[in-house]
Amino acid sequence: MSAAGFGRALRAEWTKLRSVRAWMAGLAAGALVTVLLGLLSAAGSHTSCGKDGVEVACPAPPVGPEGQAVSDRFYLVHRALRGDGAITVRVTSMTGRIRRPDSTPGVRNEVSGLTPWAKAGVIVKESTRQGSAYAAVMVTAEHGVRMQHDYVHDVAGRPGRVSAGSPRWLRLTRSGDRLTGYESADGRQWSRVGAVELPGLPGTVRIGLFAASPGDVTVTRGDLGGAAVAARFAQATATFDHVGLDGAVAGQSDDWRGDDLGVDLEADGTPHHPGGFTRSGDTFTVTGVGDIGPGTEGRTVESTLSGLPAGLIVLVVVAVVSVTSEYRRGLIRTSLAAVPGRGRLLAAKAAVIGAATFAAGLAAAAVSVVAGTRLLRGNGDVVLPVSTATEARVVVGTAALVAASAVLALALGALLRRGAAAVTAALAVTVLPYLLATASVLPLDAARWLLRLTPAAGFAVEQSVPAYAHVLGHYAPQAGYFPLPPWAGLAVTCGYAALALGLATLRLRRGDA
Amino acid sequence: MTRPVPGTGTRLREVHAEWTKLRTAPGTLWTVLALVAVTVATSAAASALVSCPSSGCGHDAVRIGLAGVQAGQAVTAVAAVLAITGEYGTGMIRATFTAMPRRGAVLAAKAVVVAGLTLASGTVAVLGSLLAARLVLPHSGFTPEHGFPPLSLADGPTLRAAAGSVLYLALIALFSLGVATAVRDSAAAAGVVLGLLYALAAVPFVMVPDPDWQLLLWRISPMNAGLAVQSTANLSALPLTPWQGVAVLTAWTAASLLLAALLLRRRDA
Amino acid sequence: MIEVSGLRKRYGQTMALDGMSFTVTPGRVTGFVGPNGAGKSTTMRVILGLDAADGGHALVGGRPYRSLRSPLRHLGALLDAAALHPGRTARHHLLWLAHSQGLGVRRVDEVIELVGLAPVARRRAGGFSLGMRQRLGIAAALLGDPPALMLDEPVNGLDPEGVVWIRGLLRSLAAEGRAVLVSSHLMSELQDTADHLVVVGRGRVVADTGVAELIEAASGGRVRLRTAEPAAAMDALARAGAVVAATGAGTVTVSGLVSERVVAVLGGSGVPFSEVAAHRATLEEAYMELTGDSVEFRAGLRASGSSRSSGSSGSWGDGR
Repeated sequence: MSAAGFGRALRAEWTKLRSVRAWMAGLAAGALVTVLLGLLSAAGSHTSCGKDGVEVACPAPPVGPEGQAVSDRFYLVHRALRGDGAITVRVTSMTGRIRRPDSTPGVRNEVSGLTPWAKAGVIVKESTRQGSAYAAVMVTAEHGVRMQHDYVHDVAGRPGRVSAGSPRWLRLTRSGDRLTGYESADGRQWSRVGAVELPGLPGTVRIGLFAASPGDVTVTRGDLGGAAVAARFAQATATFDHVGLDGAVAGQSDDWRGDDLGVDLEADGTPHHPGGFTRSGDTFTVTGVGDIGPGTEGRTVESTLSGLPAGLIVLVVVAVVSVTSEYRRGLIRTSLAAVPGRGRLLAAKAAVIGAATFAAGLAAAAVSVVAGTRLLRGNGDVVLPVSTATEARVVVGTAALVAASAVLALALGALLRRGAAAVTAALAVTVLPYLLATASVLPLDAARWLLRLTPAAGFAVEQSVPAYAHVLGHYAPQAGYFPLPPWAGLAVTCGYAALALGLATLRLRRGDA
Repeated sequence: MTRPVPGTGTRLREVHAEWTKLRTAPGTLWTVLALVAVTVATSAAASALVSCPSSGCGHDAVRIGLAGVQAGQAVTAVAAVLAITGEYGTGMIRATFTAMPRRGAVLAAKAVVVAGLTLASGTVAVLGSLLAARLVLPHSGFTPEHGFPPLSLADGPTLRAAAGSVLYLALIALFSLGVATAVRDSAAAAGVVLGLLYALAAVPFVMVPDPDWQLLLWRISPMNAGLAVQSTANLSALPLTPWQGVAVLTAWTAASLLLAALLLRRRDA
Repeated sequence: MIEVSGLRKRYGQTMALDGMSFTVTPGRVTGFVGPNGAGKSTTMRVILGLDAADGGHALVGGRPYRSLRSPLRHLGALLDAAALHPGRTARHHLLWLAHSQGLGVRRVDEVIELVGLAPVARRRAGGFSLGMRQRLGIAAALLGDPPALMLDEPVNGLDPEGVVWIRGLLRSLAAEGRAVLVSSHLMSELQDTADHLVVVGRGRVVADTGVAELIEAASGGRVRLRTAEPAAAMDALARAGAVVAATGAGTVTVSGLVSERVVAVLGGSGVPFSEVAAHRATLEEAYMELTGDSVEFRAGLRASGSSRSSGSSGSWGDGR
């Protein structure tokens, strides 16, 4: 296959595509449907927060050092540390309370217990400002010792729960920008949990103890499909002793300050679900509510792409018809007379339809995301901030997903040669699995497998906020979390498109036109 | 030259001709088999996948047992689309209108035979689904101890759900026929019909966070509204009563057939 | 009987029919001829009620086609032989048509026999050759035993044997008293089949005349002379008042004298000749003369309306 020959075939196919007015209109309609439905859903979304009986704009969530929205609510008992230093403690107990769904309406149903990621330990934090940099070593309810920093990073230490019989020693040292976490069962034999760099950490930082407990997450499947996620109050209480500080720590030994970071205030000024601490000699008891971690409350940028499945249907039809109409009219024989190389002809068709749908998808995704997020923010919705690179990946990846789906549809058209059959097949393997996985009463595992195994896996490229293993959440396709990483999902779709194109070439080579 | 020839009365000639066409088309038998197979297999799979670990698990056993209708309707829709676009694709539509110049009557006749065949094959598919579900559901925890007696048509709501599902399939076939007559191209018609069915059904959950909009979109979606007829539990939580849902789908169907008849009369064949 | 009167139809910028009027009378084969785009197919589609005309009307047996309850018993038509469902058998294709007219299966088998498709009647029409499809289309047209038939290019794709068969069929259908309209661009085909011709160009009728008259007019009373001495013959004939032209080696065309006079003049002048015959124009020639200036894409010439061109030789462009 000479390059010039392929170039000519490409040009011929492009001329064929652009000279049918209905197909160009179809491409434009596909993009338009995507944008309009996306903007419609963005325009219809309003969020406001009640305060003193008045609807006000919801406060924007704090943003962490790496740009993500974060949750930074916990109880901190701290002192100032100038320069290098360290803190060492022993944790002897961790208990908590969880609110359960009311069994008698209106009667608060609270029980003892801990949510899996309830946490308590030692922390070095840039300041008490929400969203400031930090590193911490902690014990958790069900995930053993962890070292976490800057909200999204998490390293596992030894597993196991903490109790009076099996206490855990924790140590966190600061040396310049470097923070190192250690743990020990007895205070003598120490093992390193991890070491992290916090670039730009100021000379004076807060150092101390903390406790926090994320809410209890319950998921209820809707009768009509979809799922409702509810987070309910939970708090954790930890007991520390053998508290030791090294380095230039300001003040006297009883100069500890307690701060309920990020606590909501009621109308009368009292804190809502307050934390607190008590000290008895060397023993500290700290109670905290909330979490230090990435924030996932809010709309994602890809929620503005909700019109894509509908737009994709239009584009799939255009892709299918661009090849099946040749069979119906016998034009394929003319095409093959002009470009006898079967592979070359199909490759040229795929390249042209791929490029055209990519362009339509790119325009649609870019307009939807940019205008949609503006609309959402204007309506008071919280849009989880993502980096420009991530936003670009979402837009370009969506265009690539559209193009790969269109090429797959075109290949199915060449394989089946019947318009209705090919459209049905293409929709059944691309849009339908996505809709089933995200909007039906399908069991969670089935939904995840659909998005791993079918060409709909490519929708993963839209996901802008990853699932965090150290935050309990409803990481289901229904909530916008895909089982495959973005590019891997897109690769699955492209793989199917390539496979179908190969089979179509084979059929065109073997069979009669 | 014209002499009387013994044959059918003039009234049902169009229906007779369309029935002959349908029964002699090679795809018809496969369509019927595919509708039954897809519906029963999907219903059985749904019955096996959903589990009811304890009493009061809140599931609607009848709806699960009839879940295959959601997949089977695609077969019905595409078959109905092909019933008319196949004629446009080959140009045979001109032979049809030459033999039967009353185009409205041709559309009506097509509607009658397509609906009739769908009612017949849909009945087999729905009964097969219920039978499969009756056998499979107890293994998924839908036992009398958990509050689920075996599925039976003697139960009023179950009978309504079953009969309603057959009716649903027939209405979907007619709706698709109307859309396809208006659109004329098989691929485009299949896209429009499947889009209106599946995408519109998913829209409330995928894209619209506002509950009022969700409710409205749910109510006007032909698939969501039409399948309300399958519900036998939590009826008060449904945005529409079962028969109101059927009425919504009937409105869609009537609108599509009306549009088709109007365009058929206006356009050159 | 098919009556077409004043049909007008416009597709966007193109005037497809511009006052088309003619009548197809029973008992003879009427040829329907004209260049591509002259409006033949559109006229047939309007007659069948497939397309709606913007003006004028077309009647079949005195009634609009779409008002007929059993139209195939009034008019049998063959438009596009390829317009079949490829998966249906020939017999089943005829069967649904029969049912639409209230006819039974017996009539289906009759027409299958009539067109000679009996051996393949139970095979899928998708595998048929063009000739077989053409026969199937004719069978469909004959199904209702109609008093009028309308066939668009019926010999297309038929083998020589089939062409002979269809000629005979058309003649016998007309002989039975039916009105038969046959469109064709093969004038030679119509020469042996048609009794009457409707010649169309640019959406209207250019000529509506008997085949014999048309050829007579095109022949223009010319005499063809074969001689070994063309120069001497032309000299002698010109002196006798004839207009002469050398039309080939040893061939002279004479006009202005009947053949008997030509023989007498040549005999009197002692010019030897081997043959003197009245020249008969072919239908092809007559057709070319009629439609030469109404071919749509011919530049610089306006339609000459329905004036009948005279067949005089060497008179290019005298029709205004």
